[in-house]
Amino acid sequence: MTLQVAPPDVTTPQDEAVVDRQSGWALVAEQETRDLWTSGRGLILLFLFSILLSGVTYLTSTNQALNFLEQRESVNLVLQLAVAVGVLVTLVVSADGISGERERGTLESLLVTPVSRRSIIAGKLIAALTMWFATFGITIPYVWVLARDVGILGQALALGFLVGTLVAIGLGSVGLLISGLCNSNKTSIVASIFLLLILFAPTQLPSGLPQGGFFDVLLRANPVASALAYISSVLVEGQSWTEDLVLLITPLLTAIIAGGALVLAGDRLVKLTPGVNAG
Amino acid sequence: MTSMTVEAVRLTKHYGDRSAVEDVSFTASPGEIVGLLGPNGAGKTTTIRLLTTVLSPTSGEFSIAGHPSTASAEIRRCVGVLPESSGYPAHQTGGEYLRFFARLYGLSRGVARTVAAELLAAVGLEDRAESLISSYSRGMRQRLGIARSLVNDPVVVFLDEPTLGLDPAGQAQVLEIIRGIAKNRDATVVLSTHLLPEVEQVCSKVVILNHGRVIVSGSVGEVISTVLIKQSAQLRVPLDLVERARNVLAGFPDLTVDQLMEQPDVLTLAMDRPRAGSGSGSSDLMNAALAAITAAGIPVLRFELEGARLSDAFLKVTSEAVA
Repeated sequence: MTLQVAPPDVTTPQDEAVVDRQSGWALVAEQETRDLWTSGRGLILLFLFSILLSGVTYLTSTNQALNFLEQRESVNLVLQLAVAVGVLVTLVVSADGISGERERGTLESLLVTPVSRRSIIAGKLIAALTMWFATFGITIPYVWVLARDVGILGQALALGFLVGTLVAIGLGSVGLLISGLCNSNKTSIVASIFLLLILFAPTQLPSGLPQGGFFDVLLRANPVASALAYISSVLVEGQSWTEDLVLLITPLLTAIIAGGALVLAGDRLVKLTPGVNAG
Repeated sequence: MTSMTVEAVRLTKHYGDRSAVEDVSFTASPGEIVGLLGPNGAGKTTTIRLLTTVLSPTSGEFSIAGHPSTASAEIRRCVGVLPESSGYPAHQTGGEYLRFFARLYGLSRGVARTVAAELLAAVGLEDRAESLISSYSRGMRQRLGIARSLVNDPVVVFLDEPTLGLDPAGQAQVLEIIRGIAKNRDATVVLSTHLLPEVEQVCSKVVILNHGRVIVSGSVGEVISTVLIKQSAQLRVPLDLVERARNVLAGFPDLTVDQLMEQPDVLTLAMDRPRAGSGSGSSDLMNAALAAITAAGIPVLRFELEGARLSDAFLKVTSEAVA
């Protein structure tokens, strides 16, 4: 077989007629999202989540019938579960973003394209966030079943979406930072899950425990716990959206600081060796 | 405007106290295939990563297609790269993979589709365009990687060990593609490989690195003659004409002629001392001796130069550098 590689029979990329103005980050996001969902990873995680959610919804509905759980609390529980799982899968996917590409040997091919390293990061973050959006999408019918009779359907969905997105952006960015800094993909994913477990720990403390000033500080310093507390305060305690807004400061700061760090260190983070030293 | 597509001047890369590449300089022109040779850890991959802006040099300068090293985005637009041990997304098809990379270089969706189809055909993968990459053999993946390195119609193509792990047929296919890239596209190819016999056939220029430094560079012939001052040869003639052949060769005082004990019809020819000037003198002397033998009507049954291959030169310079 004689293989002849002639130049492609099209005009060069510099010609206006063939140039695509779609940004690099959008292309990376599109491809990463397609990879995430067509590879089966995303679908399997969502399938498992839907089974979990079905079980929880069934149990809360049953309890509701027995008057053990107030309906608003059921809605709150399902929303909190959606935020928790959505953030978890977003974090795991983003933690694989850079270190995983390094290990699979696919990063260098991306680095030699004209797409900037910040665009690569942005694309990967957006792709990871689709996990949260899909998780939330699956939650909608369950919330509808539980919230329609108490007139908080719109409020619950808007609240869950906004707060969950804020936390997912923050922790997704943290996941990418960890991924850029870790020298192996396994370390990156384990470190991210461990971080999430630490953040979720305060939300699992029995409600009967004494909760003093220290607990309050711990709660407010924790982006996950404070975000979930905010959802509870609006949905269960009936507070207005602005009343406990201070609880969203930490999730907001996490998103700003982690996102800002990604933007600032992006050029030095997306490279063949871990860390932020000059490449 | 320079006609050189690659110009590296004293390129140096340090990791702390360790030097990966030290004062590497070489040039390349359009249509030229430059072989970047060296033992493992010689600095070949680091040199390619520096020239493709994946790494930043500690010192030194380079330009690619006239773009200085500071213009990394412009450089990345005009180079194609097949990294060493490149990985591939197993769940993508070959066509999908190439289309994605074509779009990263700014091609519209439709043009990316056309370019991907043409390149897959060019590397012999048109039948497998819509097959998952996970089903590709190693050779097919390497050819796909080469196709990917061409999606932007690059001025310079860097191929880092493109034949690694391939069987002889796969190696031959890849080398044929590399010839095609230089010939039909007039692109410069910088080829890092361990296949020295193939480099002799394909490369117009060779740069041998060791411990991060350029040991010798030039055309294959120049490298061989620069490095191997002393050459020898084996000449086989009919047994009854051996004595006559010895008499003819006696006319060359710089040659020592011996007869092999185990093969009395084989004479060994060795140069006594290096000739002044370039090493090509040794080849001239051997050619003259061979011409004299044939002119004397002695049939040459076998004539084999020893120490005249690139692999000999490579082993000599790399072992000298170690010593």
